[in-house]
Amino acid sequence: MLFLKALTSYILISFLINLCQAQSINFPKGGQTNNWAVLVDTSRFWFNYRHVANVLSIYRSVKRLGIPDSQIILMIADDMACNPRNPRPATVFNNANQHINVYGDDVEVDYRGYEVTVENFVRLLTGRLPPGTPRSKQLLTDEGSNVLVYLTGHGGDGFLKFQDSEEITSQEMADALEQMWQKQRYHETFFMIDTCQAASMYERFYSPNILAVGSSLVGEDSLSHHVDPAIGVYIIDRYTYYALEFLENVDRQSNKTMGEFLQVCPKSVCISTVGVRRDLFKRNPDYVPITDFFGSVRPVSLLTEVKIQPLTSKRQEAKESNQSKTINKYRYVPPLVNFNTVITPRIGTQ
Amino acid sequence: MMSKTYKMNKIISCIFYLLILTIKLARTTSETFTEELLIKPLYSEQLYAHFQFTTKWDVDPSTENFNHTRIFPRALGELLKRYNIQELHVSLTGGLWRYENWGYPVTDAAPGAEVWAWFKRDTPDVDQNWKRLANSLSGLLCASLNFVDSSNSISPEFTFQPRGVTNLSSINNKYLRYASLPREVVCTENLTPWKKLLPCGSKSGLASLLNSGYIHNTRYHSVALHLRPVCRDDSCESLALELQQSVSLVYDYLILGSRNWSLRKLFGQGVAKSCPLASRSEIFVDTTVSSTHSFELNPPPDEVVTSIRGGHESTFAKYKESQSIAVLSPPPLHANQYLTGYGQERGGIVTKIFNNHWGNLDVVLLQNIPWYVPVYLHTLKVVTNGVENNPVALRYIPGRQRERAYYLEVLLKLPPKSTTAVSIDFDYVFLKWQEYPPDANHGFYIGSAVVSTNLPLARNFTGLPQDGSTLADSFNASRSGYLVQVRTEIMVITLPTPDFSMPYNVICLACTVVALAFGPLHNITTRRLTLKPKPSEKLFVKLKRGLTEFLQK
Repeated sequence: MLFLKALTSYILISFLINLCQAQSINFPKGGQTNNWAVLVDTSRFWFNYRHVANVLSIYRSVKRLGIPDSQIILMIADDMACNPRNPRPATVFNNANQHINVYGDDVEVDYRGYEVTVENFVRLLTGRLPPGTPRSKQLLTDEGSNVLVYLTGHGGDGFLKFQDSEEITSQEMADALEQMWQKQRYHETFFMIDTCQAASMYERFYSPNILAVGSSLVGEDSLSHHVDPAIGVYIIDRYTYYALEFLENVDRQSNKTMGEFLQVCPKSVCISTVGVRRDLFKRNPDYVPITDFFGSVRPVSLLTEVKIQPLTSKRQEAKESNQSKTINKYRYVPPLVNFNTVITPRIGTQ
Repeated sequence: MMSKTYKMNKIISCIFYLLILTIKLARTTSETFTEELLIKPLYSEQLYAHFQFTTKWDVDPSTENFNHTRIFPRALGELLKRYNIQELHVSLTGGLWRYENWGYPVTDAAPGAEVWAWFKRDTPDVDQNWKRLANSLSGLLCASLNFVDSSNSISPEFTFQPRGVTNLSSINNKYLRYASLPREVVCTENLTPWKKLLPCGSKSGLASLLNSGYIHNTRYHSVALHLRPVCRDDSCESLALELQQSVSLVYDYLILGSRNWSLRKLFGQGVAKSCPLASRSEIFVDTTVSSTHSFELNPPPDEVVTSIRGGHESTFAKYKESQSIAVLSPPPLHANQYLTGYGQERGGIVTKIFNNHWGNLDVVLLQNIPWYVPVYLHTLKVVTNGVENNPVALRYIPGRQRERAYYLEVLLKLPPKSTTAVSIDFDYVFLKWQEYPPDANHGFYIGSAVVSTNLPLARNFTGLPQDGSTLADSFNASRSGYLVQVRTEIMVITLPTPDFSMPYNVICLACTVVALAFGPLHNITTRRLTLKPKPSEKLFVKLKRGLTEFLQK
């Protein structure tokens, strides 16, 4: 009898464990439930065309790999696509042969022109936006969000210039990320930066779960790839050019890892040394699928039972109550005042 | 854009919405959607294409809660409800409409962004609602409309009367806000969210012709949204909500390469499939111009419509899936605006209004001048053909630094065949250091002036009548007057811009001066030079030196 009891309880427990395991498969591993991307071009003026091409390259890739526009915050400091100097309106290309139109036909820019400031960027990351900010301009991440932060522009040792008039320091950047961590605004962050002396921007990071990559080490310049004679300026930067080349071969089912992505631009092609910071990141990048940051988690669960609640129509009630009211007579207002009826000249002040 | 959350219960919500859809279909709320395209070869070397998408929903905007919509975009409905809006007009424009050569467009729009809205009477804080509305619109249309606030908005008394219907006996401009951002650029990023408001999106129907590469390669392109309450029927005792979405394009034959145009050449593709939600999809080609610049239409139109409107006869070729219009002589009214003066102390703004009509014209001129361009009312001069012309009425509210824009509205009677110059002087001012934009040397913009009149003739006029919603409504629509609102050029002024690297230069110079001058001077003035007698050497030291000298030899 005792034996039978033990057997049934064992079966019951193992069944429960199995059930739990089966259920846990449905959830993404490691607590990640959604993906966000913050892509920032900090440079104004036509000669910085390449920085816009950079940021749009990453935008194109993350969008293609499944992050919806509502979860991508795109900041572009100047208009290149419809700039009068652009001989091919509404396009931004990744090379002089017009291989890929990274601007595309379906693009949503969330912060543009003068809106791209250090203040707005830090407010966006930390979620301290003024009331009335539209949803598309908010980073609504939570503790399950994997966030891709991509920055490009002109930088130096320990700073990145915004619009050629102000700069964010590496310490401010590190503090903003720490504030995000404390507010549980990310699960893991992949920080990418393509600028001169890029490595100096992530050196001061001290928050956990950040993997950082920079296009050049301290003391090095990041170089542009090539000139397009049609636009008269450099078209894209080396590091992002090769990153895009790599990402073009990635699809949603791809098995490529972050480890591979970190090696997209060896010194022979990049000329600068790509810097990587792994010590804050708990996982081994070689085993992290690239879609963890560039793709999107879309948990779908099938429901067998759907409970339908009858709808109550408030409008019909309103209609009925309206009908009981007195009938309103509506009219069009003449679009322009009749001059003969206008009041004598006066100067009003409020 | 508006819906952001992707959660586990996605499927539930899907089923839920499907259900609502069927319920809504069963209930009779009439929503109609029409799409129209007007192609009008202009007498100049340009071709005008105007897309008009109209959604009319038989619902009272004041009682509707916009939780469920079928064709009408919910995102706009929510704005209407939340900010207590009576009517809303937004336009985003690249390039300037050349009235003198092109005639009048279907809808006028100023270069850059232009927004105006009427709020309902029960709005407690219009300024706050206006600011929030601008913020929401900036998210909805991906434009920097969030820079609109009370410091650059005005409430004009005459120019922007409500276009929709109202049951109020008087109109109070306290509830009107108008602002323009002349600097705003318009590109694919604005067109993309705009297209998403259409019931069929960009994949089918006439909207599939809107390909960014082609429509931005034009002389003028304008995207607009007009939302207003209209009459549900002829009795006009109940309301309906009307949304007009329009795209205006002016192609240059030089850019196209030839005068022969086709849908494929203009838009990159033909219309593949029609929008099943549209009750009418029509293309109109204005063939009036063919009497002087003859052209043939291929395939031949299904029907030729002759429209006689205000003494002007135009013929339209009508295609069932899908008519055109031209300028015989300069239009009755057009206007220009320019800056006068030199240097960086004093300047002037001149608006020239041309009346080419054989009769008098009553004109309202509206100027919205930013606070950093302080104008002086006593310098206002109105001169018609060299003779001073006294305005019928004048409304002026002076601006206040950083708080309020200068508002000037002048009512003028223009004699026949005349040129009127309205001029006003201003001062150039310094801004605070932080107020200069990153590209301060580019200059600061002054928005376009709006010149409104009721034209007695419909020559060169393609606009919709006030009670009409579609292009088809404008045929044979003779009225007592035809409202035109001419927008002038925008202007750029160079405010005195300080040298921002000056503090850095001063620090460098000061440091050099300190290093080179202060150091030695301090040394000289604070130290006393005294003779120091040489101490006598001791015997041991003498011996040591002697020894080293000896060893070195």
